[in-house]
Amino acid sequence: YLLCASGDFVKVYSVATEETLRLMGGHADLVTGIQLNPHNHMQLYSSSLDGSIKLWDFMDGIPIKTFTVGCNLLALYTLASAEDSVFVVIPKKGERDTYQLVSVKLTKGAGQDLEAKELSVVLDGVGASPKQIAFGREGEYVVSVKEVNLQVYFFKRKLLNRFSLRAAKTKGGDNQFSCVACHPTEDCIATGHADGKIRLWRNFHHRKEYTYSTLHWHHDIVMDLAFSVEGTRLLSGGVESVLVQWHNESSCQKDFLPRLGSPIEYITMSSDGALCCTLHTDNRITIINSNLRFSRSIQGLIKSRDVKTGLVVDPRTKALVMNGEPGHLQFYCLQSDQQLFSLDIVQRQYIHEAGLKQSDLVKVAFSAQGTWLATVEEREEVTDPELELKLWFYEEETQSFKLNTRINTPHDNHITDMCFRDMGELEDDSLILVTTGRDCVFKVWVMVEDTDPEGKYAQQSVSWSCDFVGSYHNYQATNCCFSEDGSLLAVSFEETVTVWDSVTWDLKCTFCHPPGNIRNICFGRLTCSKYLIGATDYGFLCCWNLLTCALEWSAHLNVVVLQPDPLSEHIAAVSWLSKESSLFVFKPNEPRPIYIQRNLCKEKILLAAFVPRDEPETTGSEKHLWLRKSQLLFLTDTQELMTLSTKPLEERLTASSKQLAVEESLPVTPFSLLLGKHRRQQSQEDTDLGKLVVHNKHEQASPAVKELLHTPAHVLPSASFLCPIFINSLLISKENKSAEEVADEVEMESEKTEDDSDEERDITEMEQEDTSHIELLGEMTCKLSKSQEKELRKIRKMDYSWISAF
Amino acid sequence: MGEFEVHRVRFFGLVPAGVRCLACQPRGSRLALARTDGAVEVYNFAANYYQEKVIPGHDARAVESLCWAAGDRLFGAGLGGDITEYDLSRLSAARAADGAGGPIWSMAANGTGTQLAIGCEDGSVKIFQVVPGGIQFERNLDRRKGRVLCLSWHPSDTHIAAGSIDVFRVIDVASGQTVQRIMVNYHVEKVKRECVVWAIALLSRGTVVTADSFGRVQFWDWQQGTLSESHTVSTSAVLSLAVAEKEDSIVVGTSTGATYQLQLLPVKLGGSEKRWVRTKPFQHHSHDVRAVAHSPTALISGGLDAQLVIRPLMEKVQKKGYDAVLRKFTFPHRRLVSCARKARLLLFQFSQHLELWRLGSTKETGKDGEVLPLCRMPEHLVQLKSKGPEHIYCSCVSPCGTWLGYSTTSRFHLYRVRCDGISLRKV
Repeated sequence: YLLCASGDFVKVYSVATEETLRLMGGHADLVTGIQLNPHNHMQLYSSSLDGSIKLWDFMDGIPIKTFTVGCNLLALYTLASAEDSVFVVIPKKGERDTYQLVSVKLTKGAGQDLEAKELSVVLDGVGASPKQIAFGREGEYVVSVKEVNLQVYFFKRKLLNRFSLRAAKTKGGDNQFSCVACHPTEDCIATGHADGKIRLWRNFHHRKEYTYSTLHWHHDIVMDLAFSVEGTRLLSGGVESVLVQWHNESSCQKDFLPRLGSPIEYITMSSDGALCCTLHTDNRITIINSNLRFSRSIQGLIKSRDVKTGLVVDPRTKALVMNGEPGHLQFYCLQSDQQLFSLDIVQRQYIHEAGLKQSDLVKVAFSAQGTWLATVEEREEVTDPELELKLWFYEEETQSFKLNTRINTPHDNHITDMCFRDMGELEDDSLILVTTGRDCVFKVWVMVEDTDPEGKYAQQSVSWSCDFVGSYHNYQATNCCFSEDGSLLAVSFEETVTVWDSVTWDLKCTFCHPPGNIRNICFGRLTCSKYLIGATDYGFLCCWNLLTCALEWSAHLNVVVLQPDPLSEHIAAVSWLSKESSLFVFKPNEPRPIYIQRNLCKEKILLAAFVPRDEPETTGSEKHLWLRKSQLLFLTDTQELMTLSTKPLEERLTASSKQLAVEESLPVTPFSLLLGKHRRQQSQEDTDLGKLVVHNKHEQASPAVKELLHTPAHVLPSASFLCPIFINSLLISKENKSAEEVADEVEMESEKTEDDSDEERDITEMEQEDTSHIELLGEMTCKLSKSQEKELRKIRKMDYSWISAF
Repeated sequence: MGEFEVHRVRFFGLVPAGVRCLACQPRGSRLALARTDGAVEVYNFAANYYQEKVIPGHDARAVESLCWAAGDRLFGAGLGGDITEYDLSRLSAARAADGAGGPIWSMAANGTGTQLAIGCEDGSVKIFQVVPGGIQFERNLDRRKGRVLCLSWHPSDTHIAAGSIDVFRVIDVASGQTVQRIMVNYHVEKVKRECVVWAIALLSRGTVVTADSFGRVQFWDWQQGTLSESHTVSTSAVLSLAVAEKEDSIVVGTSTGATYQLQLLPVKLGGSEKRWVRTKPFQHHSHDVRAVAHSPTALISGGLDAQLVIRPLMEKVQKKGYDAVLRKFTFPHRRLVSCARKARLLLFQFSQHLELWRLGSTKETGKDGEVLPLCRMPEHLVQLKSKGPEHIYCSCVSPCGTWLGYSTTSRFHLYRVRCDGISLRKV
């Protein structure tokens, strides 16, 4: 198992299947550290900013004990030699930004909630990051690094040694410590530095005759270090996305595992030494074999530096699409909290270097059916942006997008918006792409069929070319939007919204609501398709009637995000006012919002998207009626993805104490923690989705299978015995009778499998008639085999039920 | 301050000779240094690393190895095949004895300083007795094929370790027999290259340390014949090695100009198990580090770039002071240039010849720091080659520029210079 702290939760992953097995919630704030109980490897300690330490049984996901310490806990360490006490990092009282390492005595008591107030300070002036403290061989000493100082405290001799390096940055060197690790069997400390050096300290019990050697490969800060279990290998990682393995502390023998995708944040080794894990800044865990071969990875939502593309929903997979790795587009499945795939758009090697201008993806749009994908990438040059528009066609055979057309410099300046004309069934011939640019024009792109004159390639190929260029008074075009039927195109030019006929490209009418530039526009849907909504810089939300060409209503609201629901007439507007975001949902035909959620979150919400639900939510109350068909997702400026939940508090599955109406689903904030030491340990900031509240439907269908897979192997009856149960559960309910029989038999035989049989019976109480002949068969066998052993009889019986099943 | 005309003298093309070997006086405070041109220099630690003595080189005497024996007697041996004793008071080579084994590659004195061992081209190791007034051949030890490149005595004087190409052996001094012969290139990659053992040290606990051309420093248990530790410190050859007297620290020099310290450190605090760990790298040289020495408080290294670097070990220095400073001897500590002020002449001393130059002159005047145009370029007047194999020890030109003198260890020459460049010899 791989355990990792993620937001307020602790997640348990299966190393074999990469599946999230369990989600342990209960902390009221960020979980800052998790460590396996050194005396019981099935138990886990976790600490949190809410000031409590919890002891879990992570196999079952049950909290065993809660110790309240009372102040913010920033990191947690356990020691095998320290009986019933753990070490935590807490802020020093009365001083800001100074932290101390204290040992907490965990009182033994009967109750579930205990107070742990016995604190004793071990080290003062430690760093706040959990990477900056390490415990040495058998807990003999503790090392802490901060800035250019290294402290070693020997527990037995009560000796504190301090060493410091030169602070001056000479020759590009920077001696700041970044992380520390201790050799498991020898007295050796490895420290990572900001200039990429690794120092190996020895003889540090002498104040003067200490010595260190240097390993240098990284060109930038060493993010984390880990020793192998025997201590013969040292792993280091940094922004280069390369895992370096040093053998025997020599600088000549080293191995590399390059191209890990993104900077390495944390490294941990499993306690048997067979696997190691790296945690990356893009919200991914990579599991690596001991021979430095990539094994598998657990990928959550990638945190990219800047989500320029916005949140887009892929109409085909219903996945959320946005910037992923630099130059890539990620397809993220909300239901399974997994990345479906990552599409390389820029197709250039990404070089990590500060200040280097990279091409990045800025806009993305899908056609209505998801067969076409348009992307815009640009290279950030101040004067002359390098733009490229690419059009991708979805290939059924390869199940992926294939580059169709590449247009260099589609506009002379930055592209501000892009949209396809959604025409539903009419698709192909009417497919139109509109791009707006800061070069004061909008361009219409259409497909042209170029027939190859040579007979060899007789099939028609399609490419895109520019059809129409429109402008309005030489204003910069900022937004564009097609009406639902595709007949009208609205393009906003600074203060003005212009409406164009999409067939003749005539300017139909203009709307204006001075002062202020138009920030967002969108058309109403379904019954409200005659309305055009616009939001301006000056805090006005306006609704124009397209039939009368007049302002229908306007409201004073500083709208940041305007997002129409594709499946209903609702439009969501998120406002940002006095440091909090509020959500308003309205229909364009009435000026009063139908739903208001004030104080949605403290962060600024940058983007929002409606994701269609697989099946309409039924239990929603009146208030949440608008969420029936789609789910609303927000992305804040700290790159947290949030969703609105319709269910009342009690219905939530988690017994968590903190459950806001808004469930935090993707805390990608860069904290993460060290983990336990059982089989696979790990630390991670990760994604936990609001999927708790969603579906159990599939699993309900086959409880037998579920039970079978979830019951420990040693309490299960023999495989031949279980086979029919399994088969039956996979069949449709006709064979229920036989299943019941078997279940009864099982119950008679062994009480251990009671659970299974109970489950079985639940589903099998439906049909009786069809199965009479099976019963008959069963009786017959009973008579025949009276002299035979019980077991044999059972097997026979099962065989018959098999037959009957066919 | 008055006004000066500063001459930018860019025409003194002295090529200093590289450092070939170093020898620390045991329990003493002096360091002997031999350069590739055969010059020997003596530095005094106690007097702030002052260059006490310089014995000028000799064409026929290329020093390969130096050692101190019998207190403060300094012996040198070289590819000429002779063992030379230096007279430190008269700064000359005093006596020479023929090694009778071809070129001598290495020499080592035993712990008490009574015996010298030399390693010869023909693969023999010979023992010489140090007697008052000279050395006396004592015996030949077991002779094997391959030149003996390095030698080391056991501190108890019972054994000698001798390194040659691909192999090193340990010889029992009493019987003269080879008691162990170990191939060092045993598990090296398939490339058939010879592995030269450039330096060897025999430690008191029976460990042999070898430095070889594959960049490895290896620790062998010679009695078992097993390799106990191997450190690849460099991708190029390790050329030199020196052990501290306490045998807890080793310094090695490599052909990339880097020197490394290896230390014997306890694996666990308070535990008895100890291991050699490569600790500090230093990069002070630009070329091969041919010689290293380990004094109680400093690491000393000398390279082919003619630099002598003394790197103090901070943890061993008691108080901050002159001892705690990194020293680099990058230029010769002797007067090689003499100036005839009135005649505006400069005399440059090279190891085998002298050059007389006239300085350039200008008529312009200018402000501070300005570069003045020359109306007369510097002029090379005379090149004077010395006769005989001995190198020039010192030289001088008179202020009027008409007299010019130089001396070697045995002779003194005086010349008269005429301005139009005719020289006249005088005894």
